[in-house]
Amino acid sequence: MIWLTVTLLAFAAGVLAQLRLRSPLANPTLIGTLIVAALLLLTRVPYDTYLRDVQPLTTLLAPAVVALAVPLYRLRALLARQWRALLLGGLSGTLIAVAADAGLAHLLHLTPDAARALLTAPATSPVALQLAPFTQAPPALAATLAVLSGLIGALILPPVLSALGVTHPLARGIALGAVAHGIGTARAREEGEHTGAASSIGMGLAALSVTLLVALLA
Amino acid sequence: MSGAASVTARLNGPARFLLGLGVLMAFAALGQALVGALHLPLPGSVVGMALLWAALGTGVVRLHWIADAADGLLGILGLLFVPATVGFLQFLSAGAAWGLWLLVMTAALLLGAGAAGLLASRLLRPEGSPGQPEAGP
Repeated sequence: MIWLTVTLLAFAAGVLAQLRLRSPLANPTLIGTLIVAALLLLTRVPYDTYLRDVQPLTTLLAPAVVALAVPLYRLRALLARQWRALLLGGLSGTLIAVAADAGLAHLLHLTPDAARALLTAPATSPVALQLAPFTQAPPALAATLAVLSGLIGALILPPVLSALGVTHPLARGIALGAVAHGIGTARAREEGEHTGAASSIGMGLAALSVTLLVALLA
Repeated sequence: MSGAASVTARLNGPARFLLGLGVLMAFAALGQALVGALHLPLPGSVVGMALLWAALGTGVVRLHWIADAADGLLGILGLLFVPATVGFLQFLSAGAAWGLWLLVMTAALLLGAGAAGLLASRLLRPEGSPGQPEAGP
């Protein structure tokens, strides 16, 4: 119970910081993660113990992802008109990210474990976890790198997209969802319902395309 | 269906929230069961999202049953990822390698999202709203 409380309060602190600071680094998920991680290290509580304590939050994640169908349904006419941009934008973004992960890991001589775990990082962590037997990556590392990909994407991509001149909510959303999945979608929703809906489409497409790619290559 | 709609419309806010949460969890469980039965390497929740979208489209599920619960859960979506992101603690012993891992990941994120954003901007069909009017190539 204590770690569930800590997680709720740490996230609330992150939301307050976001309201005060208006900086991309004041992301509630990042601040919540850092506070919880610091307290776990200080108290030497193992991650598995923490995970058992916050089980209620983990349980709510599945219905929350299912709930992304609601904005998709509300915006169905708009999304149906723009399916070409969403489909081609999302697929190309995910596949380029996977190719860049593979190519750079090779160039920089990363360990095979890390290189394989990075392959599935542009897809949501349950996908990364379930594809680990096929890529022969350590499952926990694949899931962790996928989660961090979402977190880093949520932090750095919104200002980068603005700098590139990508201003349309659907284009920003599909870009976030294509590589930063769930956490990127949480960030995209802060920009508005259109951005969030496009991001959840990008997340679904990324799950499908990374799965297909791994199935073809493995 | 109109009889059911009039009954559910009279539910108070908290009761409608519980109805919605129950429906969302049912679709999450349905997605999970389908993924397990068919051995799909996909997350059950993403499959559940597709199933719920289809159920809304065909009228099996009414939007007002689930709207409150969906908006409530999506409003705290960022909180629900904290347990997973804290998982990086398990790999702290990798030490210096983290720098390279994050470098590769960041480069891939920038290339992928940049390409997706620019390509989607190009391909969007012009319409009055939302956002800026499309400039075209």
